[in-house]
Amino acid sequence: MLLDAVFVLLILTNLILLGSSLLSASIRIVAVQGAVLGVLPFLAMAPDRLGRVLFLAVLTVALKGGVFPWLLNRALREVHVRREVAPLVGYSVSLALGIGLLALAFWLGGRIRDIGLGVSVLSLSTALFMMFTGLFLVISRQKALSQVLGFLVLENGIYAFGLLVVVNIHWLIELGVLLDVFVAVFIMGVAIDQISRAFDHMDVDQMNHLKG
Amino acid sequence: MNVVACVQTVLVLLLAPLLPGVINRTKAFFAGRQGPPVLQLYFDLWKLAQKGAVYSRTTTWVFRAGPIVGLAAVLVALFLTPFGKSAAPLAFGGDLILFAYLLGLMRFMTVMAALDTGSSFEGMGASREAFFSMLAEPAFLIGLVAVARVTGSLSLSGMLANVSAETWLRVGPALVLIAAAWMVILLAENSRIPVDDPNTHLELTMIHEVMVLDHGGPDFAAILYGAALKLWVMGALLVSLLIPVHPGVLWKNGLMFLGGMFLLAVGIGVVESIMARLRLARVPQLLMGAMALAALAMMLVLK
Amino acid sequence: MSAGMEFGLVLGVPLIGAALSILLRPPRLVLGVLAAIIGVEILCAGALIWPIVAGVQAQVAWSWFYLDALSAYHLAVMMIIFGLSTVFAGGYFGEEIRRKEIQDWPVRKFAALWCGSLAAMVLVVISNNLGVMWIGIEATTLMTAFLICVHRTRASLEAMWKYLLMCSVGVACAFMGTLLVVASARGIEAGAVHVLLWTQLRDAAPGLNQPVLKLAFIFLLIGYGTKAGLAPMHNWLPDAHSQAPAPVSGMFSGFLLNTALYCIMRYTAILEVATGGSGWSLQILQVFGMLSIGVAAVFILFQEDVKRLLAYHSVEHLGIMALGLGLGGLGAFAALFHVFNHSICKALAFFSAGRMGQIYGTHEMDRMQGMLRVNPVWGLGLLGSLLALIGMAPFALFMSEFQIAMAAMNRSAYVALIVFLAGTGIIFVGALKHAIAMAWGEPKIPVRASAAGWTDILIVAGSLGVLLAVGIWMPECYRNLLWRAAAIAEGKP
Repeated sequence: MLLDAVFVLLILTNLILLGSSLLSASIRIVAVQGAVLGVLPFLAMAPDRLGRVLFLAVLTVALKGGVFPWLLNRALREVHVRREVAPLVGYSVSLALGIGLLALAFWLGGRIRDIGLGVSVLSLSTALFMMFTGLFLVISRQKALSQVLGFLVLENGIYAFGLLVVVNIHWLIELGVLLDVFVAVFIMGVAIDQISRAFDHMDVDQMNHLKG
Repeated sequence: MNVVACVQTVLVLLLAPLLPGVINRTKAFFAGRQGPPVLQLYFDLWKLAQKGAVYSRTTTWVFRAGPIVGLAAVLVALFLTPFGKSAAPLAFGGDLILFAYLLGLMRFMTVMAALDTGSSFEGMGASREAFFSMLAEPAFLIGLVAVARVTGSLSLSGMLANVSAETWLRVGPALVLIAAAWMVILLAENSRIPVDDPNTHLELTMIHEVMVLDHGGPDFAAILYGAALKLWVMGALLVSLLIPVHPGVLWKNGLMFLGGMFLLAVGIGVVESIMARLRLARVPQLLMGAMALAALAMMLVLK
Repeated sequence: MSAGMEFGLVLGVPLIGAALSILLRPPRLVLGVLAAIIGVEILCAGALIWPIVAGVQAQVAWSWFYLDALSAYHLAVMMIIFGLSTVFAGGYFGEEIRRKEIQDWPVRKFAALWCGSLAAMVLVVISNNLGVMWIGIEATTLMTAFLICVHRTRASLEAMWKYLLMCSVGVACAFMGTLLVVASARGIEAGAVHVLLWTQLRDAAPGLNQPVLKLAFIFLLIGYGTKAGLAPMHNWLPDAHSQAPAPVSGMFSGFLLNTALYCIMRYTAILEVATGGSGWSLQILQVFGMLSIGVAAVFILFQEDVKRLLAYHSVEHLGIMALGLGLGGLGAFAALFHVFNHSICKALAFFSAGRMGQIYGTHEMDRMQGMLRVNPVWGLGLLGSLLALIGMAPFALFMSEFQIAMAAMNRSAYVALIVFLAGTGIIFVGALKHAIAMAWGEPKIPVRASAAGWTDILIVAGSLGVLLAVGIWMPECYRNLLWRAAAIAEGKP
């Protein structure tokens, strides 16, 4: 049940994210999500790999719960934007679609479990729902920063999936993946800074010079 | 229909107007005021019942039927509502649907009566009420269905009595979600802060109070009493869900349940004291959030 | 020299180059060092590739590095493209330095990122570990993002953002696919198989969980397909290609896309072994190929910017490769042949377009007329490469496309054949119109004087010459290498 509660917590962070307009609040929620992800290795892995689990957990919490939010907050301060003013999809509708995505995730989770992955439907569905939420945020939000948050949530979903389904990956690979994501977020932060300097804002909807 | 259940229901009929009193006292305490007496609603009801009613010439029978049908509907709903873990006078498989529809009927009649006045102000309140309950009802029903699924019973009394410590250990997260969703809906449906402000009639953002502006005398008494009963029945479901043990003994159950109701009223008072009313545009989002919680709970129990 | 050391050198040399580019200051010196580094790199890679061409099955080091015919071929194409682009970049940025249109820092940034992305792509091609391969692909995205906006304008920033976001999301999907591939190996005794190593995974493929593997392939195809610019995930491609400086566009189109396609080939091999050669994965690849050809055919008709036109050509040709791979047999052979042809031709096309853009000061095709008169060398380069791109005989691209059509005919894949012929037909007409006007029209705007140096002549003549020569006559060892590579991509022993 503890594991269930963690998954429910993760799903709730996604739902809150879908309904939240304040960028700083969204960053905080993503940070919470990252920190909760750090707990997952303890619950999901065999205890005989404690050293590795500890290493992974500390790194995850530090990166996803600390460094990423810090980077994003810095970008946020520099661009002087507080809210996602006019998302492509309103917040109530986002939430409604979120419910639909949740149902889809649970359905798909059941299907995937049936084709032979030995994990619970809830864990699979949670990972899928995080991916869907991330993808949805990337598509439907106009602020560059929100899109980065969406990317992070997507990444979190895949990471959770990896923790649950795949146990025997070489630690070098995991390190490399985390490093890549870190660099991606860092570069996106720099890009946001440059974009806001060139455009005086970070609305992606005004990036419409290139068409066809 | 057993005698105990009937006695309990009569007790509820007498106690229901206490809830708003407790809520108001809690709010007054937080504001550092003396506050109205706990029995204020009883005095109001008594006063209103003495008066005659005035009806506008533009209204029809719908306007007069509104409060009466509404009160009747919620009374029937009360007969379906369990008293803690002890069964209601009326309990049969599928009564949860009837329960939801009775509350729906009450709302429908209130809305119709409001529209019947022809006043634009009341029409505004009616449209808001209809819109918000459109969002609140599915969430409420989804929660009921989820509980039914967990406990394997299709009647309100049965399923709430079946919620035990074991249930909580098994599907605790789902039950917490349902309780949270129901709390939001309880606040919304009973026109409490943060959805609606029960204190004032004349704000442009009012919902429930604005619909009943034109009622007076016994009609208004029926409305006030009906509202208190509605708060009670919805609160009773929530409290019964949250009590994780079945005491077995009658007086223990009664004590626990009434204690729970008292705590719930205090809780509502606290919420009203520490929160401001949401902007109207944010209300659908709140209700949608409640629906998301209920849906998530549903999926958790379905998997 | 051991294989391990060679692998180390191939990876290490570009990294040293990146470090040098940041440390050195004068832009001309940086460009010179860059050329030298790439030269050394080509030699190292050559030492690694040569035994494979001579007939060795595979070069292996520590079981994490692995080079067989398929990867050796791709490594060779990559080296040729990087060699060409670096030489061209020297001239291109040299011109801008001379005109003082570019500062010191962007040149150094370019050189460092150029070396970095080379290292990342080499990592993709030589790694046997699918996880490392993914890391390499993600690294190419990150390295190349800022290459797009070496010239920092609003449009280039926009293109960079689209590229960064779309490819990051896409590549994240590919990671999900990679994880699913590992998950599909659950049934196999844990520890006996290191499931991320491609060689071991391929050998163990018949025991993998097929439904999970198929799900994984869909994720992988969408993920790496985004990076490869397959429709409908191609949206970032025209923007990025048109806004990047010409050498970067050439490298993007010439090899970055192929790196991602290469990853897909690695997985089709596993899928084919696992499903016993059912062709399931190849059919999906075919569909994406046809879609890309169709989308490109429609959009090419409405292009006004020459670099966007070329970018849509990339979508088309990547689609043709995917289609060829999907057809299997002769198709796979032709697709791999097409990789080389397209890379050379497209690099040349972007170089010419870039130089002509510098001369005309615009990339709009309506205003870039009379190229053959304005600058015969690069004008000929653009005309020649455009003609080759649309499949004019006897260039090598005609040959490979012809072989793909043959393969479709042999397999009775008439839908694919019709889509392929119709798509290339439309593109032929649409692009030929532009090519003729640009080559022989009257110059409409005053142009800056420019002379073509001997490196320019060498690049144009060399590329067109190679395309012609390979189209007419194919060396035996080349043919062998391609057949071996095609067999690997199809999962045949």
